[in-house]
Amino acid sequence: MATVREKGYSHWDGHLIARRFPWWPITRTGIQLAFRKKRFKIIFAGAFIPSFVFLVGLYVSERLEDFKTFLQGSDRLLNVGPKYFSIYFTNDSLLFLIVLVLAFGTGGLIADDLKHSSLQLYFSRPLSKKDYLIGKMSVIAFFVLILTALPGLVLIIFKLIFAGSFKFFLQYPWLPLSVLGYSALLTVFFGFYVLLLSSVSKNARYVLILIFGVYIFSNVLFGILQSIFRTPYMALFSVPANLQQAGAFLFGQKPPHAVPAVWSFAVLAAICALSALVLDRKIRSVEVIK
Amino acid sequence: MTAVQAVRQVFGFFGFLSRRTGKTRVFAILGLIPVVLAVVVRIVLHGRSGPMAAVFTDILMVFFLQFYIVILALFYGTSITAEEVENRTLSYLITRPIPKPAIVLGKFAAYSVLMFAMVAVSLALSYFIMNAARLSDPELYLTFLRYLGVLGLGILAYAAFFTFLGTILKRAIIVGLVFGFGWENVIQYFPGSTQRFSIVHYLKSLLPYHPTVGGGGGRGVALLLFRLEPTKPLVAVLALTVVTVALLALACWIFGMKEYLYEE
Amino acid sequence: MTAVIAAASLSKWYGNVLGLNDITLEIEDGITGLLGPNGAGKSTFMKLITGQMKPNIGTVTVRGRKVWNNPEVFQGIGFCPEQDVFYEDVTGWEFLTGLLRFYGYARTEIEDRASRALDIVDLTADKDRLIRGYSRGMRQRIKFAQAVAHDPGILILDEPLSGLDPLGKRKLIKLIKGFRDQGRTVLVSSHVLPEIEALTSRIVLIHQGKILAQGDIPYVRELIEAHPHQISVQSSDPRALAARFVGDRSIQKMTFGPDGRTLVVETHKRDEFFGRLTGVVLEAGIEVDEISSPDDNLQAVFEYLVGK
Repeated sequence: MATVREKGYSHWDGHLIARRFPWWPITRTGIQLAFRKKRFKIIFAGAFIPSFVFLVGLYVSERLEDFKTFLQGSDRLLNVGPKYFSIYFTNDSLLFLIVLVLAFGTGGLIADDLKHSSLQLYFSRPLSKKDYLIGKMSVIAFFVLILTALPGLVLIIFKLIFAGSFKFFLQYPWLPLSVLGYSALLTVFFGFYVLLLSSVSKNARYVLILIFGVYIFSNVLFGILQSIFRTPYMALFSVPANLQQAGAFLFGQKPPHAVPAVWSFAVLAAICALSALVLDRKIRSVEVIK
Repeated sequence: MTAVQAVRQVFGFFGFLSRRTGKTRVFAILGLIPVVLAVVVRIVLHGRSGPMAAVFTDILMVFFLQFYIVILALFYGTSITAEEVENRTLSYLITRPIPKPAIVLGKFAAYSVLMFAMVAVSLALSYFIMNAARLSDPELYLTFLRYLGVLGLGILAYAAFFTFLGTILKRAIIVGLVFGFGWENVIQYFPGSTQRFSIVHYLKSLLPYHPTVGGGGGRGVALLLFRLEPTKPLVAVLALTVVTVALLALACWIFGMKEYLYEE
Repeated sequence: MTAVIAAASLSKWYGNVLGLNDITLEIEDGITGLLGPNGAGKSTFMKLITGQMKPNIGTVTVRGRKVWNNPEVFQGIGFCPEQDVFYEDVTGWEFLTGLLRFYGYARTEIEDRASRALDIVDLTADKDRLIRGYSRGMRQRIKFAQAVAHDPGILILDEPLSGLDPLGKRKLIKLIKGFRDQGRTVLVSSHVLPEIEALTSRIVLIHQGKILAQGDIPYVRELIEAHPHQISVQSSDPRALAARFVGDRSIQKMTFGPDGRTLVVETHKRDEFFGRLTGVVLEAGIEVDEISSPDDNLQAVFEYLVGK
């Protein structure tokens, strides 16, 4: 018996191939979309200013005699060691710039998907929730690592080149590990932090304000509470303060606030755990309309 | 329909709409934080009204002046035009028989009233809780009105600035964040007249509490008024008014002239 | 007949991209269909005549009055946008009454008009539900309701039937025809020919920012008729099928596909061919896998019209 199929319809007989890294297309697209925003490129370039400044500092430290005429009264102004790197990584301006870059470039990672109801599109492919989140988090990891691990390691390399010897490395062999460790901490924390806030609303503009606002507000709250209660433990309310505490610990330095670093690690871990819980609830393939 | 009637209708519609959104609830809850802090402070500093007054000026006003009104004005100010373009609802407004500036002014008025209400409730509760021991003192109420006035002027000035940014820039939020939390904080470290190129300078100049160097409030120079070279109050009010009116007028003019294309 | 909407040498650029290319057009009373593929310039034209964009060159007027920055003109215009966007935190009722405020009506009149508009689109029962909870069809209908609630003399509808089920489309088509019968002017845009055909016989064909054809549908159809239709049939024995049709005078040309399973027929009488094909297939017992018309689309019509 003759069969006539619907006009234009043809059945695909192929086999779906499982990808080794199913989250990679999400990451690649997220990075490309961030760079498509005109002003993002400027902000991203600007975020390298602290690393450039510290690079100049490295140079000056090795050429101090040449700069002595400008530094009357000081013997050795710049002493480059773990403290130098700790200051670089935990200074307010670098953290502020990282938040700015992430807010602008990655704020819409989940918010835009929620706005355009794209989650169903993602999960109708052979992609798990874990792959989706890894893909999104990898976009954040890309930007954070480029602003932290990369310039950090480059600074160490330039220190060795300017010094003309490996003495610095032999003196502090653990320093590259500290750089990588702190970069990893910032990556994981900011990954969870940004994705948590991005999943809270469909409005990318509101998410941008949240990413910035929560960061700034936590610091304002710390200032207020410390003025009232006069205890350094109020630093645990501040996101940048906790990051600075953790950074000082990882670089073997005295923490800026008289609070054991383990408490700061606990606060940061709690934020990541909260984020994981919220993301698990928010990221689902079925949209519930109330 | 006259322009004034159009502004009133836009005000009514968006006043209603803005009270409905979840974001308004979030910002209103944010305004409860100083109230909670006020309660905590009252418990901790029980019986010491002097330090409490200083705590309010030095601490809670930091929250209001350098965070709360800035974040409110940033969100609501930029959303006057940006929200309509992002959500593609602008077509519903500009295909009505109302002048385009009426849309800007009506939304500005609606959001300003909303922001003022949130700030006023938060300020009133936190202020009177902190100063509960001095409720019979008429000076208290005058000071409260002055604080409210400062924050009201701040809301208008910041909202006008962010409204203007929203009409000319696609990504006004980023510039707004850098201005509100970057420039406005950093400018206080600049000497001389440089401080006058910020909105917060004029607001701080109007605050009713100016500690003398090394004293005042039992605490020395307050964080909020750090390195402030205050402008005369009348000049400060005039400057804020001029800034508000000029930026709003510019925003109305630009919105009337500009085409807003939706991103595909 | 005086033109209701008139465009003279209308051109619009998006940066270096030309959106509308020197369009001179007059739209009269009744329903006019604006037809074109995606990216043809339909929405650009709609935005220009509703004052959402300003022409770079030329003018566009509605009843003799310029549209750009002239809010009074909108007292008599109702616009239904293409995008499926709303103020989501309001109910259908609040949405309609809110927008009706901008016309200067008194409270009672606003409520009357909103009730009537909801009645027209059959949404009275759902008027107190939040719009975010509406189905696609309901959202399309409430969009239409906001365009007609103030009884405009001119309706501009950008893809009004998109997202509607067949029953919904039928209802809306009936509504739009009702408006025409009341003496209003309606301009409807679509990229689906049968939808426009159901509404009106008067169309404007637009492509790459230019008007390709304007007039009654039969006239445009004649242009299509001058160009033979291609029909592709995939079967187990295309040659046997071809043999059955070789004597048919309505067939201009037959070719075989390289896969050895496809027969492509060119004919001026498409409907007649389909009728015959069904009979031949059943009679000869030939198994047919697929039938398609490679050029039975608007693109093919336009390609012909632009001489490609």
